[in-house]
Amino acid sequence: MKHNSFFRRYLGIPYIIYLVLFVVMPLFVLIYYAFTGRDGSFTVKNFIGFFTQSNTLGTLFYSVVLAFTTTVVCLLVAYPVAYILATSSLKKKSVILMAFVMPMWINFTLRITALKEILTLIEHNLAFHPFINSVIGMTYDFLPFMIMPIYNVIMGIDKSLTEAAGDLGASTLQSFTKVVLPLSVPGIISGVTMVFLPSMTNYVVLDMLYNSTYIMGSLIGSYFSAYDWHNGSMISIVLLVIILLMTALTGKKDGKGDGKKKEAYV
Amino acid sequence: MRREACRFISKILLGTVAMSVVTIGSGGTVSVSADDKTKGKDKEVTLRICNWEEYIDEGDWDEEEKIELEDGTVIFGENNILDDFTELYYDTYGVVVNVEYSTFGTNEELYNQLNLGDVYDLVCPSDYMIMKLMVDEEVEPFDKSFFDESNELNYYVKGVSPYIKNEFEKNKINGEPWSKYAAGYMWGVTGIVYNPDEVTYEEASTWSILQNEKFNRQVTIKDNVRDAYFAAMGIYKKDLLMDKSFTESDNYHDELSKCMNDVSKDTIDDVEDVLKDIKDNVYSFETDSGKSDMVTGKVVANFQWSGDAVYALDQADEDDFYLEFAVPKECSNLWFDGWVMLKKGIGQDEDKKQAAQAFVNFMSRPDNVVRNMYYIGYTSVISGGDDSTVFDYAKYCYEAEEESEDNIAYDVSYFFGNDSDEEYIIEAEPDAMRRQLFAQYPTKEVIARSAIMNYFDDDASVNINQMWINVRCFDLKDIPESVKGMLILVFVIPLVVIKIKYGGYRRRISS
Repeated sequence: MKHNSFFRRYLGIPYIIYLVLFVVMPLFVLIYYAFTGRDGSFTVKNFIGFFTQSNTLGTLFYSVVLAFTTTVVCLLVAYPVAYILATSSLKKKSVILMAFVMPMWINFTLRITALKEILTLIEHNLAFHPFINSVIGMTYDFLPFMIMPIYNVIMGIDKSLTEAAGDLGASTLQSFTKVVLPLSVPGIISGVTMVFLPSMTNYVVLDMLYNSTYIMGSLIGSYFSAYDWHNGSMISIVLLVIILLMTALTGKKDGKGDGKKKEAYV
Repeated sequence: MRREACRFISKILLGTVAMSVVTIGSGGTVSVSADDKTKGKDKEVTLRICNWEEYIDEGDWDEEEKIELEDGTVIFGENNILDDFTELYYDTYGVVVNVEYSTFGTNEELYNQLNLGDVYDLVCPSDYMIMKLMVDEEVEPFDKSFFDESNELNYYVKGVSPYIKNEFEKNKINGEPWSKYAAGYMWGVTGIVYNPDEVTYEEASTWSILQNEKFNRQVTIKDNVRDAYFAAMGIYKKDLLMDKSFTESDNYHDELSKCMNDVSKDTIDDVEDVLKDIKDNVYSFETDSGKSDMVTGKVVANFQWSGDAVYALDQADEDDFYLEFAVPKECSNLWFDGWVMLKKGIGQDEDKKQAAQAFVNFMSRPDNVVRNMYYIGYTSVISGGDDSTVFDYAKYCYEAEEESEDNIAYDVSYFFGNDSDEEYIIEAEPDAMRRQLFAQYPTKEVIARSAIMNYFDDDASVNINQMWINVRCFDLKDIPESVKGMLILVFVIPLVVIKIKYGGYRRRISS
């Protein structure tokens, strides 16, 4: 037993090495660049610049609106699918679920290229609707990330809870809104974080669907390709802090949800 | 000291990360070495080359791709050209050269890689990046022996086009000509590829097509600040550029160069407005989709480098789709990609330097020039000198199949001719003035109105990049007041609702 736990501890080493080399150290490098100027001296100019330049704020706004819309659309599409799949008595559930997840196995640039042609057939000229196209592209890309966690959470809800709600006189709708929906909030939250955050920076979709407006990812990229690593790093850091704050906010609720789920299982 | 150390560590780290990204992204470093048996006995030298992606013949041609020229010369890319170089180098010098070949996607990417500490011996950036590297004193000059025309292996000096040679000697950085540090590889101009069913030649022959509302959302421009800036300058300075007293003045070429390299703050501000206009009119800022979008009919015209224009027209021909190429009448951007040796890589190593120079010469050997040109579609700076292979190849590609009165005499003497009285004329199809030949070897008139775009100094660089970001970023001022109100509703109300609802449930459950 003792030997076992001793051995186990060492299993974590590869991950720790990975973490330090590719997560922690680069983070310090980012912080270093974010708070230095071109001459290498300490400065907070980049930090102030982030909040005073209309460019970064405009881009932040555009990214947030884009990510928000994508998330809402994803949620509206994903929830019913996950709910129906999880609660139906279909035998081949996993097959249907696979049909939603399978596109993820195909290279995403390939998928977006295909989507581009489909959208061109519908709209004729993509350049007139860059925002909507981007939302469609992102939704297409991130939908599985929304379906999976919601599906898993709904699967985990004890059937007897809805039965009990029914016994106590709740209609199907009521038992959904008062039992299933609140209990699936943790799934929604983890789905939202998995969709919202990447869609703020995934500029490849925008590039491929001919949206010429920058989002945060492309703005960072443009600073880096202009040899301005300092402003690029600063934007990354601020974005990271925003993301951390959001996960901290949602994580709290997520954690409580998990706790509840565990209690339910106990 | 500490900062130095920190910098060093950060460079190594960023380098590792960037390297792994680059390796994954670009298909990795290809290592080519001679037969293993020869190792151990012979002297070895490692040559680290970094070139553009898909910018060299990789061999493996089909039998039908074999090029048979008029004089019976047969050119066939059987092996990777790097393997051929290794073989030749061993045969000539008895030295095993290990070529470590990697690629980059943009000049900026290469520059960042070099700054991160990646070491290469020989790289092939564009004109302005060569200038920047010269200013930074990163480049190693070629040996005297490299310029010795009596050595038959010096294919570069013997074969480089007199026109290109002149440009490389004329353009100077800190009083030193480019030719001392750089050997040309490929060159070209910029222009517009268009679909003649939708766009007339006149409409395509001006940078203003990017602003032309007739083609609203049907034209693309490059997603690249330098190309976009040049095109917008063509529009912004149109009146001057088209003015007869300007074009016919004695020092037209110098004035043109000065005009197109204007990076004063005021000009940048005005160009920003032009580019914003362009942004509202074009289909997109594209990096690589322009060619295929022409064929699928998404766009009717796009900004293109001449080498890519050749490729685009070739591809379209294969799909039975007819495209043409025009160079705006205002001006065009003359560009080069060239080989430069890097001090950091070569160091004091004479063997390495010799190998690097031999590589440049090998790439300039007429048959290899043809192989590369065939493979990548761009135009080599090599005209061949006494050797007619390159000109024969141009004839092989573009000479009219049938004799006809409509055929035109296409003059490329400026490029191939060593003496003024030598004439190099290709009897070409009637449409050659708008087709591949025109893109491959632009006419003398186009060359006359072409300017090289210098590198931006630090101030200009900051201003222009800021300008570019201003163009591309969403402007908060663009939001109408009514939308602002709606947005607040859309964002704030759900948050409040969720808060109340969610908080409510929590209370109920916990009670």
